[in-house]
Amino acid sequence: MDLIKKTNIDFVTKRNTFFMASLISTVVGLIICFLPGMIELGIDFTGGTQIKVSFEKASASADQVRAAVSSIGFGGAEIKSFGKPGEYLIRINELGSASQISANIVASLQKSFPNDNVILVGADNVDAKVSKELAFDSAISLAIAALIMLLYVAFRFQLAYGFSAVIALAHDVLMAFVISVLFNKTGLLNLELSINALAAYLTILGYSINDKVVVFDRIRENREKHKGMPLAELVNLSLNETLSRTLVTGISVLAALLVMVFLGGDVLEGFAFTMFIGIVIGTYSSVYIASSFLIWYTDRVKHKNVGVVASTKA
Amino acid sequence: MWPTYSYYQLNQEREALAKDSAAIEQWDLANGEQFLKARSGRLKLGLDLRGGMYVTLEVDVLKLIEESADPLSVDDDLTKIIENTRKETDNSNQDVLETFLKNFRASGKSLLQYFTVSNQSDPTEASIEEKLQRDADGAVQQALEVIKQRVNKYDLSEVNIQQQGARRIVIELPDVKDEKEIRSLLQTTARLEFKRVVMNRELIRAFYAIDNLLKGVNPDTTVADTASVAADSSSAKKDTSSIAKADSVKADSAKRDTSGKAKNPYAGLSDDEAARRIKRDYPLTHMLGGYYAQSEKGSYQPFDLILKKADDFPEQGMYRFIISGKTLPQLLKILDRADVKRVIPADLDIIVAAKPEGTPSKDGTPEVYDIYGVTREPELTGDVVTEAFPSFDQASNQPVVLMEMSSEGAERWAQITGANINKRIAIVLDGRVYSAPVVQNKIPNGSSQITGSGSPEEANLLAVVLKAGALKAPVKIIEERVVGPSLGEDSIRRGVSSSLMSFALIILFMLAYYAWGGAIADVALLMNVLLVVAGLAGFGGTLTLPGIAGLILSTAMAVDANILIFERIREELAAGKTLKVAVEQGFSKAWSAIIDSNLTNILATIPLLVWGSGPVKGFAVILLIGAIITLFTAVVVTRAMFALIVASGATTINIGQKRTA
Repeated sequence: MDLIKKTNIDFVTKRNTFFMASLISTVVGLIICFLPGMIELGIDFTGGTQIKVSFEKASASADQVRAAVSSIGFGGAEIKSFGKPGEYLIRINELGSASQISANIVASLQKSFPNDNVILVGADNVDAKVSKELAFDSAISLAIAALIMLLYVAFRFQLAYGFSAVIALAHDVLMAFVISVLFNKTGLLNLELSINALAAYLTILGYSINDKVVVFDRIRENREKHKGMPLAELVNLSLNETLSRTLVTGISVLAALLVMVFLGGDVLEGFAFTMFIGIVIGTYSSVYIASSFLIWYTDRVKHKNVGVVASTKA
Repeated sequence: MWPTYSYYQLNQEREALAKDSAAIEQWDLANGEQFLKARSGRLKLGLDLRGGMYVTLEVDVLKLIEESADPLSVDDDLTKIIENTRKETDNSNQDVLETFLKNFRASGKSLLQYFTVSNQSDPTEASIEEKLQRDADGAVQQALEVIKQRVNKYDLSEVNIQQQGARRIVIELPDVKDEKEIRSLLQTTARLEFKRVVMNRELIRAFYAIDNLLKGVNPDTTVADTASVAADSSSAKKDTSSIAKADSVKADSAKRDTSGKAKNPYAGLSDDEAARRIKRDYPLTHMLGGYYAQSEKGSYQPFDLILKKADDFPEQGMYRFIISGKTLPQLLKILDRADVKRVIPADLDIIVAAKPEGTPSKDGTPEVYDIYGVTREPELTGDVVTEAFPSFDQASNQPVVLMEMSSEGAERWAQITGANINKRIAIVLDGRVYSAPVVQNKIPNGSSQITGSGSPEEANLLAVVLKAGALKAPVKIIEERVVGPSLGEDSIRRGVSSSLMSFALIILFMLAYYAWGGAIADVALLMNVLLVVAGLAGFGGTLTLPGIAGLILSTAMAVDANILIFERIREELAAGKTLKVAVEQGFSKAWSAIIDSNLTNILATIPLLVWGSGPVKGFAVILLIGAIITLFTAVVVTRAMFALIVASGATTINIGQKRTA
């Protein structure tokens, strides 16, 4: 099979349009996300107690659950449900033993709904100290990982490539984050920002950097082969030459993830969804963000140098 | 990988027999060792994938400081410093003790005002700081030790207890049945006691009393001696392979011992049958091994408890009882029963050593634990201990533990030691004996030296234990996660089956798109996933949800490596090169992209491994293993297969490329 023939698509002429469109949608998306109540942080990052229960016969509504829970003294409980009938996430601020609170809640729910069977799916209790540490450690390790990627790419290619890669990675993660936050609001999947979601974002980073390196590698090779060719043309040629690989890899990975989104069950679905979004965005950003930024940055540096030289001569 | 597969095979076999305890016993005899070996070597699933309970405990260092200060000296200033430190450290990663000391110094006060070091007549600031540091470190060890011993009592398989950082303990308990019990186990403080050791005939009498009780509550006795095979098998319900094995040995020895006597009820029975009956008739004592010496100087001779009664034994002399580490959990369970406690004399307590006797042997001989009879009422409770630390005896150069007591405690200690010269006093923490030294002489001032620690580590542990009397390690639960077993069943099955389907989809896609090339890639991919999972199992790693993310990424990169190679070979073939040249060029040109992308990811895992927290680390470990193996499979495996094809003289290969007319 050979789906993608030799192509000669013009990717670079409209690069600024795409770049600006991405930039604007990322910024707008982030602003929307940071409106109050949009981002739902998981228990890992907020601290507190969270209990997940499932009603076998799905006979209880969210309001009834709330009433039952507040009747045993957890008035401020937050009740969420995710597409699956009879499954509720109960979040309370009270700290205390997860196992004890969850046992109380399950017992109380069972009493309120004697005809149904209440199953405890899970309970977490995270001290605020632990959640802050987790956030801090994650941020630090991510920042250093990004720095290492920048340095390695800069070392193997050029500094401009390193910057381009990191800009594109930031774009990918932020876009995937925006879409996940918005999609989480639909209530179809639980996409709150938890430590597991963090692993999905790390996967996006890893996949995306892989994609960028492949394109950069081709540009590096073509730079030797076609000496004197302007960078924009080099980039366009390389993007066309790697297009077949980009799409074949992308499609096979996306197909695999799609299976997990639909059939993966509780454990995998949310996770696979975020990765799916991220890989689509990562593939797009190799073409339109990393390459556009590379051309723009290289031009800017060149012009600046010319300007400096000119001014010293004047 | 093999242990994982073999574990699931064996487990299935074993579970198929679950209803029939006699069959399980038989099966365990035949396969038990193999089963346990496979179980320890297999790939472990994280609690997020299989259900269980996860608890992080932290030693409250500030509470420890507060408690170790001289209670009369505590004033508002110290309370305020502690409170400020708590506020400051609650939201940060700073070391609590360091922050406290910093704040304390800023207040311009002297540590000497609040703290003393009991074995020093004129402590300095530095020596107090050192003491606080030692207390804080010891507290973690103490809590760790107590929890380990307590968890041992439950027959929980694969409990994982680890120290994390300087002040934390992580406990992972899969298959938790009673969460409340576990919580109380983690939170009750341990109790240190000094008890007099009573090893005499009364202890043996108590053993037989327990035997009778256990037999009595067993419905099987209604059929008594004419016990049918069915009744026999049900009496053996709880037994594990090791017990069965130990028994058959016992049965042999019992037969030997009693072969001369006409009344041996087990004579003429098959080994298995004899073992079963002995176990039925002596539910407790069949697990024990006894030793007897006439006097302190005499050597201990082994004896058997089977087919005897307490009056058969001499009243005078020294007894010693041991139990195999394998049957220890059973004994602990028996001793914990309320009805068993009732048949033990009111002034006697039967307890077990915390550590196995001697150094663990490497030849697979099971570890043995000493069983002690002690007075039920402690001679002295541990709160009189003010300080304990490991040291070396100048004269013998042996590791020793030095212990100090409060003046009130020292007075009582002098009486106790005076009255028990040449007798043994057991040091009991939380119902387990850590040491049972013989009193050499009367100790007048509370300063005791405990010899007999086999190694500096042992001495260190004993010091930690003794300090539990002076300072109970205050621990709090800072993280607790319970994953219900319902997630374990359905969700995991869906997760696994969808992952397998995804993988199959990729395999088929590669085959369809790259034809023979795809077949080669599929072999490499299969190897890749197997090696990654095997690598994880081999390092004793645990597969968690973030780990699956890492596996997805590393598989995607392995797929990509193959695609990069094939696309290049296609390009070269399209340019009219011969197969041999195209393959060579294809590999060499794809190589730089493959190595750069994998190396970027490998390097990026380093900070995740160093600074990332648990789940992030789990992701990074798999990605690291995966990326390294991808480099191997894509380059070595795929390449070798192509090289074989080229070497076989083929001039064309169908890797799904456009046919040139």
